[in-house]
Amino acid sequence: MTGELSYEAAVARVEEIVRRLDSGEAGLRETLELVKEGRELIEYCAAELDAVSQGLEELRLEELVARLERGAQTS
Amino acid sequence: MALTAPTTLAHSASRLPGPFPVGSYAERLRARLREFARVQLVGEVWGLRPARARVYFELRDAAGAIPCSMWRSDFEALGVTLTDGLRVVVGGGCDYYPGSHSSSPSFSFAVTELRIAGEGDLLAALERLRRRLAADGLFEHQKRLPLPVLPRTIGVVTGEQGKARDDVLAGLRRRGWAGRLIWAFAPVQDRHAAPQIAAALRDLAAISEVEVVIVARGGGSLADLFAFCDEGLCRTVALLRVPVISSVGHHSDRTLIDDVAALACSTPTHAAEAAVPVDCRAARAQLTALARRLHGHGRRAILVRARTLSHLSRAPRQHVERRRTQLHQLLRELRASSRRGVDRGRGQTERHGLALTRAVTRAQGSDAVARRRTLERLALALAAHDPERTLARGYAIVSDRAGEPLTSAADARAAGELMVRFHDEAIRAEVSG
Repeated sequence: MTGELSYEAAVARVEEIVRRLDSGEAGLRETLELVKEGRELIEYCAAELDAVSQGLEELRLEELVARLERGAQTS
Repeated sequence: MALTAPTTLAHSASRLPGPFPVGSYAERLRARLREFARVQLVGEVWGLRPARARVYFELRDAAGAIPCSMWRSDFEALGVTLTDGLRVVVGGGCDYYPGSHSSSPSFSFAVTELRIAGEGDLLAALERLRRRLAADGLFEHQKRLPLPVLPRTIGVVTGEQGKARDDVLAGLRRRGWAGRLIWAFAPVQDRHAAPQIAAALRDLAAISEVEVVIVARGGGSLADLFAFCDEGLCRTVALLRVPVISSVGHHSDRTLIDDVAALACSTPTHAAEAAVPVDCRAARAQLTALARRLHGHGRRAILVRARTLSHLSRAPRQHVERRRTQLHQLLRELRASSRRGVDRGRGQTERHGLALTRAVTRAQGSDAVARRRTLERLALALAAHDPERTLARGYAIVSDRAGEPLTSAADARAAGELMVRFHDEAIRAEVSG
């Protein structure tokens, strides 16, 4: 369900879920379903943040291109 | 700079100060000329003469002329061809070469900017190109590409030595972003830059992981920026699959790449921030807060559910418990009541027996025979009331298995299995209807 979701859309959905829960209008079944959906989205967002917090990796295009060309030749 | 004290000769007739050493005077002249405001001049080019480091020409109009010079590298970066009589606009300020013992002095207007004026005006040419690119819809394509919020890989095209590189890194650091950065270094300041920048952009876009590309360059003269107005480069950018954020930067003139790109920023730092619109640290804090609130709701919901379930599970047990207590109570009352009935019957029989004994005792004596007869009659009458005798007459006592007497057909049906007591013995019986 979070396959093609953008980070922005996921956060917006979690905020919407929390607003709905805060309103107190959700019944027990809906609450549990929303909490489950929200948890999955938060895990997805946290993974996205983790992916850009592992430490800056700097590459040079020409080295990358050379590496890819070498790979293409050997394969 | 102070001039050295004049040498006064006795036979001098002049009232003027001096004489001063000419070299000192030349230095002061240069300093004074350099204080002139930097301006733009318009005129016709005459006598273009390239030298080793600089190019020289005169700028003339009907009312006068002024010698001009320009660094040769700056002039060549423009990529323009000047012919005698061509109208140009130059920007710069006055300068003076003071010369030396072995070289001639010269005055010139030091040109730092130059563009062809009138029909050949480069800006006018750019304007035409801009209109053509717009008419071809090339400004729209990049604007339709969604900019990623949290890209994992960013491509950057910039000069290897430029300040722009540090600025991009500073912008990314400010966002707390630490993903993968692919540098594509290209010349960004001479007229050969455009094809190399275009090639770098194509190569970056060919890497599938690259989600956004920054083209960055510090400020500079307009002439330096012409590379970013190149038609081929602009068409390349327009058709890339990844969004391009330009930060070519010039305070007054907008380059064509700014128009074609998905987004144009004034500085490389801003471009980096635009490439990562999310402040990663703030986003993490926001996510933590959301997770906490969600967790709170989840916990409350589970507690509510547990309470409801526990209530529901308790209800039938309590109900059964209550019924069982009532039944026990009833049973106790029932047993007590039947015991009382038996005791009462036994008490009466004993009282009757006692009275009989007394009567018998009283009867002994003179009229003993008569009394004995009476006694026997009484005994017979009494025996007639004995339940055993009643049973002997054909009656029976019906009770349940526990021995509790049953006094109605309904009780007998309820009991199902009965004990029927005749005068000689009891038998077990079942209710069939």
